[in-house]
Amino acid sequence: MRWRTALVLAACLGLLPLLATRADDKPKAAPDPRAAKAAKVEVPYRLTDTKHLMVRTKINGKGPFNLIVDTGAPAVFITKKVAEKAKAEEGDKGWVNFDSFELEGGLKVEKARGRIEDLVQLDGMNGMGLAGVELHGVIGYTVLAKYRIEYDLTSDKLVFEPLVAFDPPPLVPLGGKGGEGIQSMGPMVKMLTAMLGIKPNFDTVPRGFTGIEYEEKDNKVFIKAVLAGSPAEKAGLKVGDHITSVKTDGIDSGKDLNKALAKAGVGTKWRFHVTRGGKEEEVIVELGKGL
Amino acid sequence: MKRAFALSLLAGLFALSPLAYSAPPEKEPLKPDEKPIVIPFELLKSRHMAIQVKINDKGPYRLIFDTGAPTNLVNNKVAKEAGLLEKGDKTAPLFGASMNAKTIKKLEIGGLKLEGMTTMVMDHPTVSAIAEAVGPVEGIVGFPFFARYKMTIDYEKKEMTLTPNGYIPGDAMAGMMEKLMGGASGKKAEPNVLAPAAVWGFDVYDRKKDDENPGVTVNSVLAKSPAALGGLKNGDRLLTLDGRWTDTVSDTFLAASLAKPGKAVALVVKRDGKELKLTVTPGKGL
Repeated sequence: MRWRTALVLAACLGLLPLLATRADDKPKAAPDPRAAKAAKVEVPYRLTDTKHLMVRTKINGKGPFNLIVDTGAPAVFITKKVAEKAKAEEGDKGWVNFDSFELEGGLKVEKARGRIEDLVQLDGMNGMGLAGVELHGVIGYTVLAKYRIEYDLTSDKLVFEPLVAFDPPPLVPLGGKGGEGIQSMGPMVKMLTAMLGIKPNFDTVPRGFTGIEYEEKDNKVFIKAVLAGSPAEKAGLKVGDHITSVKTDGIDSGKDLNKALAKAGVGTKWRFHVTRGGKEEEVIVELGKGL
Repeated sequence: MKRAFALSLLAGLFALSPLAYSAPPEKEPLKPDEKPIVIPFELLKSRHMAIQVKINDKGPYRLIFDTGAPTNLVNNKVAKEAGLLEKGDKTAPLFGASMNAKTIKKLEIGGLKLEGMTTMVMDHPTVSAIAEAVGPVEGIVGFPFFARYKMTIDYEKKEMTLTPNGYIPGDAMAGMMEKLMGGASGKKAEPNVLAPAAVWGFDVYDRKKDDENPGVTVNSVLAKSPAALGGLKNGDRLLTLDGRWTDTVSDTFLAASLAKPGKAVALVVKRDGKELKLTVTPGKGL
């Protein structure tokens, strides 16, 4: 039963409730003739573990907040907490007018508006930590339709090109019951999360810094450069050293080396085994702070 | 006890349905002469994008195109018509959801044909609600479809342009199940370690509590490091790294975790009140 609930929930993530009875009756603004040729903007995104395209956004200068690019949502939705942080307050008919709405990469969306709602889909994902990152809302039609957007999962940027001569048709009242079916799953999701005992952690810590550049030759990893003043230099690693293992992990490639130290925190000590001038050496490096 | 029960249930079901959760194999490598395919879409009154889709030669059905959907989805009516259901298939009491993903032998959208696309079967309440408002809508097309293409969506022309990009979409459901199982320890998970993908040779520290200006402050730029060679200096306020905001130490490491060694990227810094764009090529290292 429970896993099904989770799956059903997951399947619903993209599609948000209809704005059933709330018309967006904002008068149409004439497109600005001055902005005849608008530039393309590259917007970095991340693919979450739930396969959502996540774009970081600053709202009213606060944030960044993690929003999902979602053509299945009619508008911008942000959680109550985000609204509070961004000092965004509901105005006419439940709409928030954002003073500024800027996507990472430098895309400033003019006259962006949105709605404040704790969507069950986001609550669910956050409660279980499914996305691998905390989600704060979605960017939907009212913003997306203003741009010609290029999506390519083989690139790490989305490309937004403003449709300067286009005024997207406004939202219209639809009647009907909206998306109550999904929203009513809220309590179920909370129960499931509590029952499974999942306590996600969205905190991050930097990996510790060694301070070497390496090169790979015949399945061997050699130190190409030791950065001046780095932990590697202090510990006594030398240019030309062949790194054979780190702690107990054998090193045949740069990938191995990165893997061995993937979760190494600042201040942790690591035993490097190297071959230098035909002799085996052991060097203990205390990782520093930096990148 | 309840937890153990849920866990064993999860484990059992996960282990027993490997077929359902494995991603379809990528059959064809990318051809160099792939031409873009243009698919018109309808902008529904609900402001969703709708496309016409044939499933196993049945239809066309009107489905919603949704970049925020990690899976494809069709309702039970379509699943039955297109022969997606097998005898003895069990259905969850919730929204008539099928227990596992179904494979669509042949999916056609405009001039585009795909084999082996997976979908969930479920009477999604939001889809039903949309159908109630705008007429028949039978499901959702999402990530497993569009991730395979370089795709441009143009609301003005009401069309999307697709060119295969060779990307193999992973299985969102399998990933989530893994997460559910892995994370169910009852303890708070360890924080994620952000590992830079290359070596730069500098450090940053977080701005002070009362400092609301963007960026982090750069220090410890190491002599002759990639950062130094690119012109980065101690005291610079780093604003972005490869277009990504660097307002905290963790932002900076996140951006660096996505910047590949040997590839030149832009670092925007503020120095003496002026914004400068530096170009730095991080090295293969750590």
